Amino acid sequence: MSAAIPPHPPAEAAPAASERPASTWDELARKAGRSPGGASQVELRRELLVLWLDGDPYALPVERVREIVRMRAITPVPRTPASVRGVVSLRGEILQVIDLRRRLGLPAADADRSRRARIVVLNSEDGQLTGLLVDRVSEVLRVDEEALRPPAGRESDAVVALAPYGERFVSLFDVERLLELGE
Amino acid sequence: MAARRTRSPARSKATREFVSEVEEILDRLRADLADLADQRARGDLDPELANRLFRSAHSLKGLAGMFGFEGMSGLAHHLEDILDGLRMGRLTPDAPALDLLEPAIALVASLLERAGSAQAQEDAAGEVGALVARIEQALREAPGEASAAGPEIDERLLRALTEYEEHRLRESLRRGRWVHLVETSFEILSFEEGLAELTAAVRESGEVISTLPAPGEAPESQIRFSLLVASAYDAPALASRLDHPNAAIRCVHRAAGRDDRPEHETAPNPHGQRGRLDRDEAPLPPEQEDRAKHPPQAPDGRAQRGEAERGRQLEGARSSTGRATAQQPTATPQQPEDDLGHEPPSELDSLKSISDTVRVDIRKLDELMNLVGELVIQRGAIGAIAAQLLADPAAARFGRELGKVHKALERKLQELQAGVLEVRMVPLRQVFEKLSRVVRRLRRDSGKDVRLEIRGGDTELDKLIVEELADPLMHVVRNAFDHAIESPAERVAAGKPPEGAIRLEALQRGNHVVIQVADDGRGIDLEAVRARAVARGLIDADAALTRKETLDLIFQPGLSTRAEVTETSGRGVGMDVVRENVTALGGLVRVDSTEGAGTTLSLMLPITLAIIQALTVGVADQCFALPITSVLETLVIGPEAIQRSEGREFLNLRGEPLPLRRLHAEFGLAAPAPDARQAVVVVGLADARAGLLVDRLEGQQDAVIKPILGPVRSLPGIAGATELGDRGAVLVLDVAMLIEETVRRREAA
Repeated sequence: MSAAIPPHPPAEAAPAASERPASTWDELARKAGRSPGGASQVELRRELLVLWLDGDPYALPVERVREIVRMRAITPVPRTPASVRGVVSLRGEILQVIDLRRRLGLPAADADRSRRARIVVLNSEDGQLTGLLVDRVSEVLRVDEEALRPPAGRESDAVVALAPYGERFVSLFDVERLLELGE
Repeated sequence: MAARRTRSPARSKATREFVSEVEEILDRLRADLADLADQRARGDLDPELANRLFRSAHSLKGLAGMFGFEGMSGLAHHLEDILDGLRMGRLTPDAPALDLLEPAIALVASLLERAGSAQAQEDAAGEVGALVARIEQALREAPGEASAAGPEIDERLLRALTEYEEHRLRESLRRGRWVHLVETSFEILSFEEGLAELTAAVRESGEVISTLPAPGEAPESQIRFSLLVASAYDAPALASRLDHPNAAIRCVHRAAGRDDRPEHETAPNPHGQRGRLDRDEAPLPPEQEDRAKHPPQAPDGRAQRGEAERGRQLEGARSSTGRATAQQPTATPQQPEDDLGHEPPSELDSLKSISDTVRVDIRKLDELMNLVGELVIQRGAIGAIAAQLLADPAAARFGRELGKVHKALERKLQELQAGVLEVRMVPLRQVFEKLSRVVRRLRRDSGKDVRLEIRGGDTELDKLIVEELADPLMHVVRNAFDHAIESPAERVAAGKPPEGAIRLEALQRGNHVVIQVADDGRGIDLEAVRARAVARGLIDADAALTRKETLDLIFQPGLSTRAEVTETSGRGVGMDVVRENVTALGGLVRVDSTEGAGTTLSLMLPITLAIIQALTVGVADQCFALPITSVLETLVIGPEAIQRSEGREFLNLRGEPLPLRRLHAEFGLAAPAPDARQAVVVVGLADARAGLLVDRLEGQQDAVIKPILGPVRSLPGIAGATELGDRGAVLVLDVAMLIEETVRRREAA
């Protein structure tokens, strides 16, 4: 069909958003400043869910968390990357559970983990759900964007920034990168 | 895998419904337009087709106007102008204005894609304006009334007819057809059905120009109608074809010169040559005369007419422009108007069709299906309690009662499941029609003469599967058209008819539907396929492959994506993708080809993805489920029954070697004790067989297969998961994939 309709004026914003890499935090921040035109700096406060792995705090953007559930029977799935612990059934939906310790190459958890262990269920725009198995979940933290610092090392791509957390720093995950498992 | 059903969340629900409704109209328009193109090429025109096109444009205009899409509505308005001209005979089938229909529809489609953005609609205004101007220009340039001249027609009859009906009557006379009045009466309570039946019967032998109610004569409980019919048959012939005992047929106008030439060759005749249409030749029946004296504006006559015509025929506008009132799509039919006679009954038409059919978002059906699935699990729990009670002597009586209730519940649940499943089923016709449009377009663009034969379009499949099938099928058909069918010259040289044929056929076989795409082209060059596979390192140069194994190579990823293979083998672009898509739906693809004579691709698909009867098996400490439809039989064997050849294990199953796969090894689970007896699940799809070695057979249950959500998209060998009672999530094996793997492994050996 030859309906050569010129596209909208070349959209700058859309491709940048889908490629994601460097500006993820900016993007998250923009999403937070929902009120149109209200791009004031004050708005750029983020809410982070703090979770623990091998004695250290990490964080996820709260708006990506659908719910937090107790540890439950996980059915292993053959032929998947090691970080996939298996699948669980959650009110009729079957979702994969990623063991975050394995994902980050941390030592396996001891037996103590099972009592406080939680599965953090993330949602994504395309309707996918993913469970993240963590040692425990502690609190929701509010942070100014300006207080964010670049990550300490490049051990894992999954951490995009450090946020101040009392006397220490909490490592903030980039959810998309965290879920790239290198199949 | 194919993209999941995701729709832009930015669109509101109302917009989504608008979009899907307009998409349906566009589909209809495109299909009819393709037919129109064919008819224009032949130089004749089916009046019903012109009417259908006009109706579609009319609905489109109303819908777009209602949702405030002015550009689209304006464009549809002009589409309607062209099509009205066509159906009223102001435009001849060769009028250049008709060439603007396709770009106009394409533009509507492009506006629809951007329905979510008001800005985009405004941006397109210039383009819409330009096209509208071209349409107006083309309509101005069209010659005026094509056939005002013609046989004289009784004034009284004319006054009873709409402008469109009059046009059809004149057109029929011009073509030298017989004109009859078919009269009959119906019970008032059921006249709509009776009339619809009679009309359908008449249409087999001619055209119903008008349906005229005939008040008075009939008994109280009856209502009389006269159908003004144009036909190539004379009255006795029509009567015998209709076979309708109560219908009286009177000839109103005798066909002239009908013996001279076949009707479609009849050229327009000069004025008056066909004789007069008047009462001397065939008197109007008294009631007709009566009606003619009281033109249709009479309220009683109108009401009945409106009823009678509903759903059958668009009278269109009666005004001289042919569409003065049709421009008000939101006017309610009940609204009192000065000239009620101008009310297009199409309003009734469209209102009715909306109320009969409910459009349902398939996600809602998914939710329903989930609920049914959960009920099924609850039902299982009740069954277990009943069994426990029954085992306890003190409570056995309650156990029996509960058991009865449980049985009844089970039956009702099965009906519910079947009901929900049925709602999801749609005929393949939708996809087939799209394919037929694609072939028409290819034929036009390429000049290649290829006929598409379609059979079994009524075969039904789960809506989801039908949607996911559209692309793979398109791929297969395009391949056949582009590469398999030779040029006419080559075909003639090979002793074939110059016109190529692609046959698209669907049929149901048990729980599966088989879709075959067969062409009569050059077939697959096995040597070329083999050479390519060797060059790609897919097989060894000296590998001994059967013909079938060689053919199956076209589904290998590396092999079939390069153009040169396509040209020599005649097939193969993206066949791996086709197989991947079909496998993801739990289906299988098979290919068969005879060099020089053609190729047949068969797609075997399950009828539904939703609920299955599952066989549960145990491997090490895990439980897996298999769709029972793919299980042929199960047996238990000792280790001594397993034979080996070149390291591959197989079983002698009643004289046939059955390749075996040990699930624990495939899935990296703990092996059973070496001397343990093992269970073999014999699975099969189409003609492929394999035996899966498992540790235990556990039972049989209803299962709702669900997709596994999460970051890992490709789970080879796993079709999904299901919830089974207290076991939590249980993985469902992808039997098709496991069989494919077994077969491939054998090939590689």
